[in-house]
Amino acid sequence: MRVNHVKLLVGGVQLRDGVTTVTDILGKIFTRAGLFAVAMEKGYASTIYGAHQFDPMLVTEEPPVSYGDPEVDVLVALDYDSNPDAPEQPNRDTVLRHGGKLRDGGVLVYDSSTGEIPTGALEARGIQVFPIPARRIAQSELKREIVKNVVMTGALFRLLQFDSDEAYLRQLLEERFLRKGREVVDLNLQAARRGRQEVERVLEANGYQLPVRLEPRPGRHRAVYISGNECLGLGAIAGGVRFYAGYPITPASSILEFMEQWLPKYGGRALQGQNERESIRAALGAALAGVRSMVGSSGPGISLKVEEFGVSGATETPVIVVDAQRAGPSTGMPTRPEQGDLNLVIGGGHGDFPRIVLAPGTVEECYTLMLEACELSDKYQCPVFFLTDLNLSEGKKTVLEDVFRRPQVVRHGIVREEDVRAKPYRRFEVTPSGISPRSVPGTPGAIFKASGAEHDEFGFVSIDPRKRAAMVEKRMRKLDTYLQEDWKPPQVFGSVRGNPVVVGWGNTRPVLEEARLFLQRRGVPVALVHFTHVFPLHRRKLEALFADAGPVVVVEQNFSGQFADLLQRELRIATRRVNKYNGVPLYPTEVAEAVLQALQREGAVVRIGGDSQPVPVEVGRNEHEGD
Amino acid sequence: MNTKGIKLWEENAVPKHRIQWCPGCGDFGVLAALKQALTELEVMPHELLLVGGIGCSGQIRNYLNGNAFHGTHGGALAYGLGAKMANPDLKVICLAGDGDTFAIGVENFVHVCRRDPDMVLLVMNNGVYGLTKGQDSPTAGLGQPDERGSREEHPPMVDALLLALASEATFVAQSFSGDVKHTARMIVEAIQHPGFAFINDFSPCVTYNRFNTYDWFRERVEHVPEDHDPSDRDAAWRLVREFARRGKIPLGVVYRNPRPKRPQRRLPLWEDELSGVDLEPVLATYR
Repeated sequence: MRVNHVKLLVGGVQLRDGVTTVTDILGKIFTRAGLFAVAMEKGYASTIYGAHQFDPMLVTEEPPVSYGDPEVDVLVALDYDSNPDAPEQPNRDTVLRHGGKLRDGGVLVYDSSTGEIPTGALEARGIQVFPIPARRIAQSELKREIVKNVVMTGALFRLLQFDSDEAYLRQLLEERFLRKGREVVDLNLQAARRGRQEVERVLEANGYQLPVRLEPRPGRHRAVYISGNECLGLGAIAGGVRFYAGYPITPASSILEFMEQWLPKYGGRALQGQNERESIRAALGAALAGVRSMVGSSGPGISLKVEEFGVSGATETPVIVVDAQRAGPSTGMPTRPEQGDLNLVIGGGHGDFPRIVLAPGTVEECYTLMLEACELSDKYQCPVFFLTDLNLSEGKKTVLEDVFRRPQVVRHGIVREEDVRAKPYRRFEVTPSGISPRSVPGTPGAIFKASGAEHDEFGFVSIDPRKRAAMVEKRMRKLDTYLQEDWKPPQVFGSVRGNPVVVGWGNTRPVLEEARLFLQRRGVPVALVHFTHVFPLHRRKLEALFADAGPVVVVEQNFSGQFADLLQRELRIATRRVNKYNGVPLYPTEVAEAVLQALQREGAVVRIGGDSQPVPVEVGRNEHEGD
Repeated sequence: MNTKGIKLWEENAVPKHRIQWCPGCGDFGVLAALKQALTELEVMPHELLLVGGIGCSGQIRNYLNGNAFHGTHGGALAYGLGAKMANPDLKVICLAGDGDTFAIGVENFVHVCRRDPDMVLLVMNNGVYGLTKGQDSPTAGLGQPDERGSREEHPPMVDALLLALASEATFVAQSFSGDVKHTARMIVEAIQHPGFAFINDFSPCVTYNRFNTYDWFRERVEHVPEDHDPSDRDAAWRLVREFARRGKIPLGVVYRNPRPKRPQRRLPLWEDELSGVDLEPVLATYR
C-alpha cells in the first residue's frame, strides 16, 4: 500500500460533467489536508460544451519536483451516457483515451448509469474497476442530477481511503452551500455517502485490496491551491499595478477576471478592452499618468499589440505585457501549451528599442517574478514581457504561503515639484544609465512632451542626426544598465563543468529538473541551466558559465528552438535541441530519453512526438485531442 | 483678449516661427481657439494632457503648453481613456485628424463614445490625408456631386456627427476653424461637459483639398437654430439630416445630454499609497 503519492486523472464531457469542478474541490481539500496537489496538465478544447476534457492531478506528501509522467494510478471517468448505435460511446471516452495511461494494478472508477462497459483488458493488467451509477443515483434516489459529481467524489475519497469521517468534505460543502440551506449540505453529504457505499459494494464483491491511501497531514503549513494566472495577478497587486486591461482570450482571460474581481478592492481599475489595441493603449495612457499598468493576452492578441511595443519603447512609457502562450501560429490550438512566442516578444516591432523578457518557471514564480517585472518596468520605462503558457497560467497547485511576501514598492525616478525647482526638467535627458527623469502629469513645472516620433531631450520632434543618435543610444543603454544591475543569471542545477548541459527557460523547469534527476539515477550526470531572465542575455557572464560545459541541449516547446537560436546568436556556441510542439505538455521521462538521444551526435535535433507518419483523416469523427 | 494668459500657452511649446503647417492651414485657427478656450477656463498647463493623433493635426500638441503624448495612428482616444481613468483630475484633450479618427481609429471612436470618459476629442476634419500628400480620408467628398459608392475604392463619406450620435456620444458639436471665436466657444463647452465631448471641426487643407475651401465653408455654414433642443437625440439626428438636405453645415452644439456618472478617484501610484497591501482577503479564497 502506497501512502500519500497518487496520480489521478478525472475526465468527462466539457461543461456537462464538471471535470474541473471536481478537481478544484479535490485540490482544495488535499491542500487543506496538508498534502501537495499539482494539476498542471489541463486537457480541454476550445469549445464551450461537448468536447472531452481531462485534468490530471498528482497528490504527494512533500512538494513534488514536477507533475510527473503521464501514467496514472486512478482514473475517474465522469462521462455517463452510452448510445450503442453511436460510433463512439461518450461514457467510454475517458476510458478509451486514458485507459492506456493506467498503471498495472491501478484503479478505474466510472459512471455506469447507462450500463457497464467492457474492461477485461484493463482487469487483465490487475486494474481494479469500479462501475458507479452516479448519475442514476443522483437522479432517481436524490432527485438532483447536479450531485452526481459529489457521488463520484465520495467514491473517489473511499478509493483513496481519505476523509472517512467526511470532515473535509463537510466543511467545504458548508462553506459553499450553507447559505442555501442546511438541506443542500445534507443532500451533498448523502450523495458522497452513496458513492462510498457503491465502492464498498464493489470491494466486497471482488475482494479488491486498494493500492493507495491518502493520509491528511494537517497543520504543517499554510498553503493555497491556486493557478499561475491568479498568482501573477496577486504579484501585480503586491507590486503596485493598479491598472489592468485585457481583451478576452484563452488562456489569459482568467487574469482579466481576477483583476476585475480584486483590483477595485485595492483602489485600482480593470478594463475589458474593446480590442487588443485599446487594451494596451489604455494601459499606456494609465502608465503615462503614473500608474503601474499591465496588460495580458495570448499569442494572437500579442501580435495585435506589437505596434504599441515600440510606442512604449520610444515614449519610455512602462507597461507589463503578460503573454500566456498557446500553440500558434494564427489561432493555432487555443487550449494547448507552447513556448512559441519568444521571437515575437524579443523581435516584435519595427526599429530598435529596449525591452526585457521574463519567464517564470513555476506557479510560485508567477508571483515572485511578477514583483520583479513591476520594479523593472518602472525603473527602465520600457515594455517588460512576462511569458507564461497555458499550463502554467491555468494549471493549479498547492503553494506554500511563505511565497507571498510583500516587498516595499519603490517608485523609480519620478520627479516632484520640488525636484524641478532645483534643476530644469528634461523628460528625455541623456544620462549615463540611459534612464531619464519622469514626471506625472499634474506636477507643476514638470511639463513633458512624449512622442513615438523621434525627439529631443524635451520631447519635441527632431530628425537632427546627432540628437537622433544620442536618443537611440540613450534608450538602448538602459539594457546595459539592466544587465549590470538587475539581470539574474540562470539557475544552475548540478555541475556544468565537463558535463552535458540541459538548457531550458520558463515554465518547463519542473519537468527538466525531474528529467535531470532521472538521468542522474541512470548514471548520466547532466547539469540543468534554467533561465527566467530570458532577454536580453548577459553575454560575458554566460560565456563564463558555458566555458567548460559539455554538449549543450536546449529543451523547449516549439518547433524551431527559438531560445536555442537566441543562445547560439548571443554566445556563439553550438546547441543541440529537443523540441516538442504537438500541444501536449513535456514529461520527464520522454525529456530524459530525448536528451540521451541528443547527446549521441553533434547538431542533433530531437522532436518529441514529431517526425511521425501522417495520421489518416477519419471523416465524420471527432478528432482526438492528441493524447 | 487676455494676452498675458495667451502667452502662458506659448511656453514649453515649439516657437511660432517653427510651426510646420502650410500657410493658411485651418489648424492655425484651431490652435488659436484652443489657447483662447484654455485661457478663458483658466486651465493650468500642468493639469493638461494633450493627446495628438498622427498627421498634421496631431502636431498641435507641441504648439502649445501642456503635457503631451503622441503614439500610434488611431490610438489617441485609447491613450486618453487610460490616462483619464488613472487620474480623473487631468484635463485630457485628444487632437486628431479625420483619417486618424474615422479610418484607422474608428474602433476607438465608436467605443470611446459609448464609454463616455470625461475628455474632449477635437477632430480637425479636412477630408484628406494631408501629411501623406492628399489621399482620400473617410470624410472625403463633402458637398461633392456624388459618384461615390459606385466603386469599392471610393465609398460614400462617413458622417462624423451621425456616427457619434449612433455611438451614444453625449456631446456632439461642430465648428469651423475659419471662425476662431466660435471654435473656442465649442472647446469651452466641450471641456465643461461632464463626459466625452466630440467636436468635429472643419479645418481646411489649403494644399490638398482645393474643393472644401474657406470660402466654400463660409457659404454653407449656419449656426444651429436657437430653438433646437440639444438634449433631444432624435432632434439632433433630424437637424443633421435637414442641414445636409439643404446643402448646409450646422455649427454649434448638436447634441448634449450628460449621463449620470459614478465619481472616480485617482488610482494609487505613490509609494505610501501602495505600501501595506494586505493580500489576506485574496489568499483566503484560495485556502
